[in-house]
Amino acid sequence: MGSFLAVWLGQTVNGLILGNIYALLAAGLALIFGVAGLVNFAHGSVYMAGSYAGWVAMSLLGWPLWAALPAAAAVGALVGLGIERFAVRPFRRSPHVSSLLATIGAGMILDDLAEIVFTPNPRSFPSAVPARRFSLGLASVGVLDLVILGASAACAASLFALLRYTKAGRALRAASQDSEAAQFMGVRVSRMNAAAFALASALGAIAGVLVGLYYNFIVPSSGLQAALKGFTACVLGGLSSVPASMAGGLLLGLGESYGVAIFGASARDLVAYALLLGALFLRPNGVFGGPPEAPREALTGSFLPRGRSLKLHPAAAAAAAVAAALLPLAIGSDYLLQVLAGAWIMALFALSLSLVGGMGGVISLGQAGLMAIGAYASALLSVGARWAFLPSFLASALLAAAIGTLLATPALRLKGHYVAIATLGIGEIVDQAILNWDSLTRGALGIAGIPAPRILGLDFSSVRGFYYLGLAALALGALAFAAVGASPLGRTIRAIREDEVAAASVGIDVRRYKALTFGLSALLAGAAGSLTAYLYTYISYETFGSGLSILGIAMAILGGFGNLWGAILGALVLSGLPELLRFAAEYRSLVYGLALIAVLRFRPRGILGGE
Amino acid sequence: MTERALAAAFAAFSLFAAAPLGIGAQKAQPVVVGVSGPLTGPVAQYGLAWKKGFDLALEEINARGGIRGRPLQYVFSDTQNDPKQTVAVAQKYVADPRIVLATGDFSSTSSMAASAIYQRAGLVQFGFNNSNPAFPSGGDCCWSNSPSDANEAPAHAAFVRDLGLRKVAVFQLNTDWGKTAGDLTVAALEKDGVAVAVREAYLPDERDFRAAILKAAAAGVDGFVFVSYANDAALLVQQIRAQGIRLPIVANGANATADFPRLAGEAAEGVYVAGDFAADDPRPEVRAFVSRWKAKYPGQDIDFFSVHAYDSMKLAAAVLGAAADSKGAIGRRAVRDAFAEVKDVPSVLFGKVSFNPATRKVDSFLGARLVISGGALRAWDGRR
Repeated sequence: MGSFLAVWLGQTVNGLILGNIYALLAAGLALIFGVAGLVNFAHGSVYMAGSYAGWVAMSLLGWPLWAALPAAAAVGALVGLGIERFAVRPFRRSPHVSSLLATIGAGMILDDLAEIVFTPNPRSFPSAVPARRFSLGLASVGVLDLVILGASAACAASLFALLRYTKAGRALRAASQDSEAAQFMGVRVSRMNAAAFALASALGAIAGVLVGLYYNFIVPSSGLQAALKGFTACVLGGLSSVPASMAGGLLLGLGESYGVAIFGASARDLVAYALLLGALFLRPNGVFGGPPEAPREALTGSFLPRGRSLKLHPAAAAAAAVAAALLPLAIGSDYLLQVLAGAWIMALFALSLSLVGGMGGVISLGQAGLMAIGAYASALLSVGARWAFLPSFLASALLAAAIGTLLATPALRLKGHYVAIATLGIGEIVDQAILNWDSLTRGALGIAGIPAPRILGLDFSSVRGFYYLGLAALALGALAFAAVGASPLGRTIRAIREDEVAAASVGIDVRRYKALTFGLSALLAGAAGSLTAYLYTYISYETFGSGLSILGIAMAILGGFGNLWGAILGALVLSGLPELLRFAAEYRSLVYGLALIAVLRFRPRGILGGE
Repeated sequence: MTERALAAAFAAFSLFAAAPLGIGAQKAQPVVVGVSGPLTGPVAQYGLAWKKGFDLALEEINARGGIRGRPLQYVFSDTQNDPKQTVAVAQKYVADPRIVLATGDFSSTSSMAASAIYQRAGLVQFGFNNSNPAFPSGGDCCWSNSPSDANEAPAHAAFVRDLGLRKVAVFQLNTDWGKTAGDLTVAALEKDGVAVAVREAYLPDERDFRAAILKAAAAGVDGFVFVSYANDAALLVQQIRAQGIRLPIVANGANATADFPRLAGEAAEGVYVAGDFAADDPRPEVRAFVSRWKAKYPGQDIDFFSVHAYDSMKLAAAVLGAAADSKGAIGRRAVRDAFAEVKDVPSVLFGKVSFNPATRKVDSFLGARLVISGGALRAWDGRR
């Protein structure tokens, strides 16, 4: 019994430390979300930059911790100001999705810079505090643990005091609650934007140093996972207020820690995202969130800036399709065709995101999970049950639609960013289920030997075969997309996006239509997943990670969110870019990120313009 | 920098010019190996380690006349360990007639996605880093000299037994490799009479093992067994020692790398490693490798991935030498056949290495019992 208590005491200390770090990340994200209305994807990279700033200060310059923390905070604040200046402010009058994509680009630039400056090799911190430990039975608490707890609690308390009791804090909160009203009252909202980014990034950087100290391990690529956990914490607690999102961080840290104790280390993310979905199901505005946030403008829809979206003339569209179909006859390079075949499959995936996002107004951050369902269905049907290609392809797409709709149903009553983060949770849960459900999916081993696709005795496993399979599937997906867009169904979906209350008041069953939108989108994603499985012949849970979801979103937004040809163009550009940028060697991601932001500067609503 | 520029130039060249060059009839024309691997992105450190091993091996091979008088070279295409890119790179390599052998990629997820392309073109994919048991099932062009888990696991378990441990906690990376190796290790431990009281599989991006460690400690184990990579092992030992737990730790061969003590510092002292070779081993291959390494990379630590890359490039050279005809010309089919033919190639990891043509893997195993002391891996002196 004593040992049992000690374990739980130990897990609690552990959970509190983790929770405090999540809380710092969540507080920053909530601040930025409040003032700029934006999910900041570069926040994880700020956190990473902070940990490297701390490492330079302590390891190279030999500074003590008390000096390194403010130095890292200052570096973080500067980076945050840079992100605000170059990736957010230029897109103030554009739809939020533009700045979302720009922050993805900014994150890539920061990660690649860190990789170039500090090399990809992991780094460890020098010991900053005495290694003494205080025994608590079997468990014990170290000085370092107490320092981390103290520092993060102090940051949280000062942030709270700043927001609550100072004039600047009031101005920040005012700008966050209603930026126009705040402007009328003399608050310089644009300055508040910069202040929020600086403050949030300083907190993120401090979290980075504390995590670096706690684990004694930092790598340039650690940002994305941290950002995803930060979003989760933020939404778990409630986006509407900074204290609520910080409480969400603590809850997530404790939940993960207890979850690992009960279910084992592999279950960490499963527990985290199940906690998120469960909590949102019971409390759609976050566990600690107050009443629903004041209705914001739709994520993607109304009040769009001027600027026309380019629509392809039907004749031009037909010409493009014919050209794509004839291309393999003109091109001898299998390499080029392989890249294009991959691009067609990714375009189908981007279309699925454009449908649910551009048309439906929901940014799905876990779409790769739906792709994984389609891929695993095809793998199991073809390897295990020996189904032929066509039935397995169709069944996989339908299965992805069915499971996707089922999984998303609890999320459908959520609003705004809550849905986006819930979809992130769905994607992660699918990924974790694939990893942990050994008896069905073969777990970590993956599924090998997926046979070549054959239709009517013809083998499609050559590069030209896959080119045409991908193109045909994309053409079908595009036709479906266009048909939905032009139909009363599409109008209904858009009506819900523009104003859910108005749509409901004219008799539209909002949730049912949302489920239908999600199902259609999952159908396209599942089809893309099935083709990917046949193309790779081997898939594992690593094949469809969160990075793929974000790449799909980037494609859809870059081309023009909700625009059919935009999704295809976006997929072509972002599939081709990594290959074209090979000459840039280690600067590849950096140039890629710069290119994303540069394109958005000239076409803030995507290359072809969004809906 | 020159190699990188060279690789970039080759990449650009093969991108724009698909014109056939004719397979080296002239003696001076280089023999080219196409490497698919990560040089940027989350696992870039391993691709960079490969390069160090490759470069060291090439210096040695080319100083001895290369492949029948032709210099051996490699082109390295960065894939970020991303299957979308490995299939494109595979297509690029199979279309490039200068490339007679391809290697890589890092994970089986990204490597095996490209296997079908290599297999169809009849270009050998030498997946030296791919221990996934299904990798060779990609076809008769898929060969791997990755040290076999079926050999490493019993040696690891025997080390645990000989250290006198009776009840252990196993921490295992939950990837295809970790799962295979973990299953084999646990089976071998149980066969040796060592009880596995706790088994924790963890995700590759796991950073926090404290909860799992506390659970293991509460189960009353007398030691820890790792089936992990050095990055995770470094976190694990630090978090174990930080809890004040002083029990013995026995790690698997992938941790026989200088990164482990460098990252873990003091906490790594006294950790046992069931490795593949000891740097102070008197075997001539090892002595030659270590002295060359010290000359080319002064002050840099030897790591497992570099050693394995070095070994693999030398093995590739032996295969290519066997595949070359009397004029030095090398065909892809001959390369595939030569993999089954080469016998007893000197190797740092294996001593002497040959492929089993039936499994397209390597059966032999040497093994070394190591302990970390003074921040370095040393041969274990038999004491606890």
